[in-house]
Amino acid sequence: MKKPPVSGINTVAKRLVGRRDSVLERKNIREALVSFAGLVNRPVKDKDGKLIGKLVDIVVRHGEENYPPVSGLIVKVGQHKSFIDGARISALTHNEIRLSSAQINLEDYKRRPGESLLDADVLDHQIVDVNGLRVVRSSDLYLAPLDKEIRVVGVDISFRSFIRRIFPGALSRRPTPEHVVDWASVASLADTSGVVRSSESKAVLSQLRPADLADLIEDLAGREQNALIELLDPELAADALEEMEDEELQGLLRGLPSGRAAELISRMEPDESAEVLRDLADDHRESIFEEMDVQVAKSLRKLVSFDETLAGGIMTTHILITHEGDTVAHALKLLVEHRERDVSDGVVVVDSKGKLLDHIQVIELVAAKSTALLSSLIAQPFPTAIREDTPLKDVIEEFANNRGSSVIVVDEKNKPVGRILADDLVDALSAEKDAHGFPQGSGAF
Amino acid sequence: MVETKKTLISPKKIRIAALLSVMGPGMIAGLSDDDPAGITTYSVVGSKYGYQLLWVLVASTFALIVFQDLGARIGVVTRQGMIGLVRQKYGARSGTLSATALILANIGTMTAEFAGIAAAGELFGLSRYVSVPLAALLVSFLVLRGSFARVEKVFFVISAVFIAYVIAGFMSHPDWGQALRGVVVPSLPFNHDAIYLATATLGTTLAPWGLAFIQSYAVDKRLTRDDLKLLRVDVWTGSLLTGIIGFFVVVTCAATLHKEGITINDASDAARALQPLAGTLAKDLFAFGLIGAALLAASILPLSTAYSVSDLTGRPAALDDSPKEAPLFYATFGAITTISAVLILIPGAPLIKILVLTQILNAVLLLPLLLYMFGIAKDERLMGEYVASKNMRRLYLVIISVVAFAIGCMLWFTVFP
Repeated sequence: MKKPPVSGINTVAKRLVGRRDSVLERKNIREALVSFAGLVNRPVKDKDGKLIGKLVDIVVRHGEENYPPVSGLIVKVGQHKSFIDGARISALTHNEIRLSSAQINLEDYKRRPGESLLDADVLDHQIVDVNGLRVVRSSDLYLAPLDKEIRVVGVDISFRSFIRRIFPGALSRRPTPEHVVDWASVASLADTSGVVRSSESKAVLSQLRPADLADLIEDLAGREQNALIELLDPELAADALEEMEDEELQGLLRGLPSGRAAELISRMEPDESAEVLRDLADDHRESIFEEMDVQVAKSLRKLVSFDETLAGGIMTTHILITHEGDTVAHALKLLVEHRERDVSDGVVVVDSKGKLLDHIQVIELVAAKSTALLSSLIAQPFPTAIREDTPLKDVIEEFANNRGSSVIVVDEKNKPVGRILADDLVDALSAEKDAHGFPQGSGAF
Repeated sequence: MVETKKTLISPKKIRIAALLSVMGPGMIAGLSDDDPAGITTYSVVGSKYGYQLLWVLVASTFALIVFQDLGARIGVVTRQGMIGLVRQKYGARSGTLSATALILANIGTMTAEFAGIAAAGELFGLSRYVSVPLAALLVSFLVLRGSFARVEKVFFVISAVFIAYVIAGFMSHPDWGQALRGVVVPSLPFNHDAIYLATATLGTTLAPWGLAFIQSYAVDKRLTRDDLKLLRVDVWTGSLLTGIIGFFVVVTCAATLHKEGITINDASDAARALQPLAGTLAKDLFAFGLIGAALLAASILPLSTAYSVSDLTGRPAALDDSPKEAPLFYATFGAITTISAVLILIPGAPLIKILVLTQILNAVLLLPLLLYMFGIAKDERLMGEYVASKNMRRLYLVIISVVAFAIGCMLWFTVFP
């Protein structure tokens, strides 16, 4: 597995989290912390201290707020599990819960979108600790009054607090706030109706390197995996997906709805998308294609049809095609528009019939007058062009002979269809190595 | 430029190749249930009751198939190990209790595996002070140094030694008619010994660590829902083979030792007793099979324990992780192996007591584990479309009731022998 050195990323994460003042730093909050794990099964009483029932679970609502507020309690009254609105809580301590009125609604609780249950969905489930960049299970959750509501403010991921919960009676309820992590610095992922999100954790996640995100995704269980993907910006998610192990990625795609899978795959580098799609079952691949933009699907279908040992199977279709009659300014504008893609080093120039003329480097464009026509820049050295059906072995030879950083791939009519960059070649070779033990015909490496 | 004809997508993978890539969890988890404790139980069953109790083995194999199949499915669908799921669904106490019981039981079982290696080694004239450390080093080296795929291949090679029992079975010239009768006709002499042995057979076949292992292993192997059909073939084959090997051990002992009225205490006794009756080769095969069985189980047990501990703490661990990435996983592996190896080498250690306690602990642990699995199987939020059907739930409950009854009997006879 590819594991980057963790120290660098940790610093990034720490800097990001440390920048904000944690509510846990506030003295009044620290003193008011109530352990949720200890509250489960504790008595719920009315304002006169008369027993109403026992606490089963706590319902929280999550929106864009960093600390989800308690929207209600699930209390076992006789044989029923009743929902009690959070507004009626008059006191919540680590021993008991007091309500302001004794009115009980005897209907069973039904899940509502945007809500999750702390015990059933969060406690002991997998969460992502964005500080330590790892997947852990939550050992306890801490509640405290904040901004006029009782909210989840902290989560405990220490093994010691987990062990504390095993002990009987009051011992298990005693808060151990020394191990509490700010709720905002974890991404809790266990919910079917949405994600228990906090904007802070989302911000940290979006600062991670795709390779680190890929490791986190691989460490999560199925449903949590999907939840993390949902939490990420699609562009970032696609980048992370590119870094995942092939088998993991296939498993992940199988678990995602076709629409979502199609969205992510369209944003991945075409050669990476093709590689994944190639390994999926035929009907699954078809259902993903159906959800895609027609044009994207068309070009991916073509890529998928190529063998991985041919130029067409390892190339990327991200190339910027310009005509010999276009101006330098137009070419530069195209480059700026597509700076997200991996094409920033130049444009491909074709003639009126679409046939390959040259590949012009950015530096040449910058040096030229912006009103100049591209045709005036066409000159030696011309790019190396190979056909889509060139075997990998010959592609390597072309690379070795020309010492360039890329070759252009053309179809039978000499029209450019893609490029092979050095990193595509590395991918192709490492895939071969995995399959055969050693790369074949790669004396140069 | 070379003009090659455009090659389309590589031809569909042959089904056999696909099956082989999924193969593993079921075969390994199943076959490692035929450990020295298992071979010992089967030998005693065969030498004491002849072919009469073979039907118990058939029933146990059926239960093994059903629950290994469920374990593999839970692993694939939830992508979590058993102990992690128990913690998540049943809370901190249940999770920790199961994990602690599993660790203790596994240390005991691991000691039994080393005892098997020591006994089999002594049959070949090898001192236990050589064979046990050697075996401990071998399994640690195998698991610590190898990649997942390589480790799995070695497991498969070790499993091949079980053929030895099949050969030994044929060499003993059993009465096949009687054997068939024993398989089909359930009968049980109602006495302590018979009931105890019947339960022991069930207990040694359906072991808690095997159930925990198959689930974690399916997760570690990154099997997905698409693999479930092939995985089922793997699980069924593995469990059936487990039963078939048990069958041949019982048959070998029934045809020789039982016929001559020889009583034995363990599998190495059986091997020794076989020599005059079926020849030196039969004895050697029996002993050789015992070493292989012990090595396979000794590799799986610390692995199963390490998966469970990592799972409880929520730190996912995989065979492909380095010790630095998964310290707890490898520390558990090392601790289990070392403690058991030391226990077996301490002169005068109360081995018999350890083994009996282990058997009881495994039995006591089995019941809640099966119930947890049942609970998970019918949890729609966890299992989604793979939630157990009404009929499957009934089947699970029937098996669990039988297991509960058998364990009750066994505990009764242990307390009031």
